[in-house]
Amino acid sequence: MPRYESDVCIIGGGISAAMLAQKLAELRPGKKIIVVEAGSKLFDLEKRMDYRRRFLDYSENPWPGDFIEDQSAKGIISRTMAVGGSALHWGGTCNRFSEEDLRLHSMYGLATDWPIEWKELEKFYCEAERRLGVSGQPSPIPEDWRSEPYPMPAMTMTHNLIELKKWAEKSGISFWTTPQAKNTVPYDGRAQCIRCNTCSICPTGARYSPDFTFKQLLEKKRIVLHDQTLIRRLILHDTKDVVVSATGVDRQRPDEPVEYHAPVFVIASGYTWSPHLLLLSRSSRFPAGLANKSGLVGKYMCGHAFQSAFIEIDAKIYPGMNEQHGLISRQFFRSKPDQPFVRHDLRVWESAAGHEPRLRSKDGRLLLGDDLLADWRNRAQRGTARVRGYIDVHPDRESSLTLDDASRNRWGDPLPKIEHRLDAPTLARQDAIHKHMQGIFDTLAKANNGRILSTSTGNYLDHPAGGCRMGHDPASSVCDSFGQTHDHENLFVVGAPTLPAAGCTNGTLTFVALTLRSAEKIALGCGAGCQPARDC
Amino acid sequence: MANSMLRRTVLQWIAAATGALPFPAVRAWAQTTNFPGRHQATLRELAALVLPAELGHSGVDRIADRFEQWIRDYRPGAGMENGYGFPRVRTKPPSPAPIYLAQLEALSEPLSQADKAAKRNAIESALDRAGIKDLPRQPDGKHIVTDLMSFYFHGSDANDLCYLAAIRRESCRGLKGSDAPPPSMKGPA
Repeated sequence: MPRYESDVCIIGGGISAAMLAQKLAELRPGKKIIVVEAGSKLFDLEKRMDYRRRFLDYSENPWPGDFIEDQSAKGIISRTMAVGGSALHWGGTCNRFSEEDLRLHSMYGLATDWPIEWKELEKFYCEAERRLGVSGQPSPIPEDWRSEPYPMPAMTMTHNLIELKKWAEKSGISFWTTPQAKNTVPYDGRAQCIRCNTCSICPTGARYSPDFTFKQLLEKKRIVLHDQTLIRRLILHDTKDVVVSATGVDRQRPDEPVEYHAPVFVIASGYTWSPHLLLLSRSSRFPAGLANKSGLVGKYMCGHAFQSAFIEIDAKIYPGMNEQHGLISRQFFRSKPDQPFVRHDLRVWESAAGHEPRLRSKDGRLLLGDDLLADWRNRAQRGTARVRGYIDVHPDRESSLTLDDASRNRWGDPLPKIEHRLDAPTLARQDAIHKHMQGIFDTLAKANNGRILSTSTGNYLDHPAGGCRMGHDPASSVCDSFGQTHDHENLFVVGAPTLPAAGCTNGTLTFVALTLRSAEKIALGCGAGCQPARDC
Repeated sequence: MANSMLRRTVLQWIAAATGALPFPAVRAWAQTTNFPGRHQATLRELAALVLPAELGHSGVDRIADRFEQWIRDYRPGAGMENGYGFPRVRTKPPSPAPIYLAQLEALSEPLSQADKAAKRNAIESALDRAGIKDLPRQPDGKHIVTDLMSFYFHGSDANDLCYLAAIRRESCRGLKGSDAPPPSMKGPA
């Protein structure tokens, strides 16, 4: 059986793993870091322009080979499993949470507080923005203070966004451009954005994705990367509660198990595969899985709800100028104590909805050639805004990821099943949330002779997280604020699974910031050549 | 050159001999690679009816040519985007070429008539029989009429023609100047 030794073994190869590996390599040069990822390496920037074209022309997968056929989960919202993870595809949105997210219990009597102070997290937000390369415009709201400027100037607002901002601000709500991990100037060896309008497959590398970090680390020989290697179990010491090895399979040699030994193991496998691995690693001493004395591994799975509207407005919008870039308002991040708890962000993008070419007129007449074009032009006189709010909702304890014995991979391991459930206070305020959001859409529409074309409520929780939530108390959490598990001193979980709640805006920047903080704690242990002690 | 001509001749023969070929997959491959075979004139007649006259004759023919190329470059079984929210692994369905050829065959006689109203009626009847109510987002293989229309009208060039502006939605255009409205156009690019 191939056996690999390292100082740190990182399981998972997404954005958290990339950031952790990069920082650890800087803090502890010379230490051996192995990253083990189940999916494949897709280091093929030179092919992405062609992939993009096939995607536009034929809806072909712009990331061929980015998933594993028999490694899926019920309730998962993306199949991506590759070096770079879901952040290969992401839109690059880099919003921060707000202090309210960390103090939900003490400020509102809801959910739980995070075991970290806002001032401490803010420091790591700045670092995350530097490492990812975020271009942005600071929020004008004083509570959204930041200790450092964005590393890059904000993305140019297109003519469309300028028009949408004028329209939206007539409602009395302030909007500014959404911060994004997209280069507005050449940055970190990657090119400036050239506005290809297909950020999910950025053909130039102007939008950050973790494959760039891994490539840099490999070129400098700072890490060892084993892709296509699925870790199936973590193995405990015979008598002590420390992890001694991780065992798995190289998918190219499926009959040959592999084994990894390290003084420190870090699970960076995302909100699905991190709790899944802990649950799979059950043993006689830990029959409910590792790090699970609290019984909370795979519990409190979270995400945010969302409501959307398409609003027709009096503005000249040219659909397609830069559909991936939008406006944000953080005006509703702070719920007033005397009103029902409703927190959300508010986003506006250009859209062509309601103004697309159609085959039949309103009265059912077939439109061909010139008739179709005339009908289309007539309807395209007005513009459309796509508006969305990501809404803070809180998970019930039984919002869970479990092992599904009815669904197994080729090695017979039960696969995960995710079933989100909202807690009772969240369910109780659904009507108030709906009424509030409808009021916002109405206010925006009325601001400029607008007309709501349609509204919708998301039927899944977006930007999911949780499953290994952090906290001070080992009875009510899986790990501490550094991701160090309460039950095993040398086992860390980083990234999305550690979030107690998913906030009301995209979470990537937040869990990258938390991961960078974890790296400092892990590095302390590496430096001493021992496991990271809790009092480090 | 000689090899390429020989290849084309063989493909034309294979495509023409559709009924005689025992393997549907080979037949579909040959029909795709050689699309539209002997139906090029019908396809161009169809394009002239369903695409805007503003494109001019050469513009309409150019779109028809691009549509032919789109079919020839179609890859049945290629992996499709898995989606987000409720992802599923999907592959591209079989080539639409055999269906399109049958539809072109059925339309060839009415589209060869001089009477524009008769041509239009033939198209309307064909779409009614196929139960097609709207344009698909992308050609979906149900009917060549709506797929050709979708190919053009949902593309970047048609978007520019509608707005009479060089938005160039599918091009990489740089950030400079994007704060201004896109340059206006008098007609098709």
